Amino acid sequence: MKKLSSMPESPSAPPAQRNWWVYVVLILVCVVNFLPYLRVVMAGFMDGATSSSATPIWFFSPSLEAFDYLIFEKGIMKNFFNSVVVSLASTFFSVTIGMFCAYALARYDFPGRDDVSFWVLTNRMMPPVAVLIPIFVTFQTAGLLDTLLGLIILYTAMQLPFVVWMLTGYFRDIPRRYEESAMVDGDTWFAAFRKVTLPIMAPSITATAIFVMILSWNEFAFATFLTSNQAKTMPPAIMAYSIGADIKWNVLGAAVVLITAPLILFVLLLQRQLISGLSQGVVRK
Amino acid sequence: MAELEINSLMKQFGAFQAVNDVNITVNNGEFVFLLGPSGCGKTTTLRMIAGLEMPSSGRIAIGGRNVTFLRPRHRNVGMVFQDYGLYRHLTVFGNIAYPLEVRRLQRAEIARKVSAVARTMQITEVLQRKPDQLSAGQLQRVAIARMLVRDADVFLMDEPMSHLDAQLRGQMRAELRHIQKSVGVTTIFVTHDQLEAMTMADRIIVMKDGEMLQFATPREIFERPATEFVATFVGEPQMNVFDVRITRIQGKIAAMTEDFVIPLDARWMQENGVENLVGQGVRLGVRPEHISVSDRAEGGHGVAAELYSFEPTGAENLYVLKCGGVTITTRSSTTETAHLAKGEGSRLYAGFDPNWIYLFEPGSGRTIAQAAASRSENEEM
Repeated sequence: MKKLSSMPESPSAPPAQRNWWVYVVLILVCVVNFLPYLRVVMAGFMDGATSSSATPIWFFSPSLEAFDYLIFEKGIMKNFFNSVVVSLASTFFSVTIGMFCAYALARYDFPGRDDVSFWVLTNRMMPPVAVLIPIFVTFQTAGLLDTLLGLIILYTAMQLPFVVWMLTGYFRDIPRRYEESAMVDGDTWFAAFRKVTLPIMAPSITATAIFVMILSWNEFAFATFLTSNQAKTMPPAIMAYSIGADIKWNVLGAAVVLITAPLILFVLLLQRQLISGLSQGVVRK
Repeated sequence: MAELEINSLMKQFGAFQAVNDVNITVNNGEFVFLLGPSGCGKTTTLRMIAGLEMPSSGRIAIGGRNVTFLRPRHRNVGMVFQDYGLYRHLTVFGNIAYPLEVRRLQRAEIARKVSAVARTMQITEVLQRKPDQLSAGQLQRVAIARMLVRDADVFLMDEPMSHLDAQLRGQMRAELRHIQKSVGVTTIFVTHDQLEAMTMADRIIVMKDGEMLQFATPREIFERPATEFVATFVGEPQMNVFDVRITRIQGKIAAMTEDFVIPLDARWMQENGVENLVGQGVRLGVRPEHISVSDRAEGGHGVAAELYSFEPTGAENLYVLKCGGVTITTRSSTTETAHLAKGEGSRLYAGFDPNWIYLFEPGSGRTIAQAAASRSENEEM
């Protein structure tokens, strides 16, 4: 079969583009994004003296001193647990409620519909600081200060606009035909919604939920002001434990590892759903 | 299986009257087409029968049962949507089985019914695929299978063939007509394609601007159109219609344009009272196949014309002629017109078959005189 080389080449596969500069740009972006994080993570495995030395040290013998301090002395796993409960619960409630709201906005034409959706969006634009004091007072009156329930309610309310805006667009992309078809086939409206629309929407809802969960997980400002002990979540806890009279860099690093590890695992596991959910309606015609 | 009865059905969307006073009685097992241009209310009418849209007023009865304001699931109708409405998260099997699962049938029963209908629609090989792995023709077959699998009283089809290419559409027409007749379920089919309606229907409802213009068999619609709109909407190429004046020339009544005179049939004029129209302007209609073309001004080819455009379609030749200010299209077999000139601007003569001339009222478009050779269904019986 030595004649193979003389056979005409199939034109179906165009030559792959190999632009070296694309990789240069990509590497540059990765370094800029990743280096600070790497440095902080390294600090987490140093002992106190190494981490706070004036000149950066790149080679050191690892120690778990900071983790030991956070987990056993300060009991940061309680804060970790609080964060898990608050972000899971607020994600569940905001996505569930927001889903129905988005469905209504996408499907039904009622007076003031555009006003409602615009109002929902403006809620998102408002800086949290503007409402910090009123919310504090409200929480104080209602006895919600330093409770997980209070944070769950607040985060649910905060994330709702985002959920509604994301999902309204996705619901609009799903033709009404699917539900109508199911209804003619003998389903009630809700059964049609549950069995037909939701499965089609699943990737988009998953992607939205992931975003919402990350936002709740990372929320700092309200958590700092509205919790002190019992309900303190990870972000304010990290600050409280690592920054006192001086900054304990190794404690900060260890805390960063603890707070980002679940997120990294989570996104790595779900990246397929995340990408397919976000691109739904974009890729398809 | 049931008959469908619709009485004075109305639907308003705000100030817009989408459907205005539709009255239909469809017999059991009949294949009825709703035909009209887009926005004429045919789809709205269908959706009201399905229960996806509630009427503003009127009554809809299926098999004698009043379903006017019932929810879709209480009506027992099957439907195929324009874009099929197949669930893309389910396999073809899941899609077809869906209406049965909703009715909580036994699993074995479902499998049996689905495979039976899949055999009818020739989609057995694709049952395990997802809808996005199917061709347009297969998608359509699946959608029809999903409708057929149920024991519905009425089948509704909303332009199911509009996404198919012309060749496939031709095949599906014959197949669908065959299936409808063998299943024997009353079927309402919405289309804007007059060819589909003419070839498949038992009876056609022609709609325009929300109103029913005519409800009759395809042949009756074609030969005895109720209005000028029906006459021009059905038939390809469409009927030639132009303004004429009924005039008495040398004691004989004829239709006259500014440029030529069309002699009329005496008996037909008498039957339709054309004498009373003398001096009036009317619209005269004649189908392309009832105009013959000649290169000599003799034997009834009295109208001098200039060839504007020549369109061969294979078996037939279309001549678009300019007769003074009037443009007419003619259609004749290729062999008959083989000897005629085909160059643009050629001098030709057109002859109008006096047996196939229609007269329409100028304002309302109502038919004043049906063609002499046309027969209404009642006369035949």
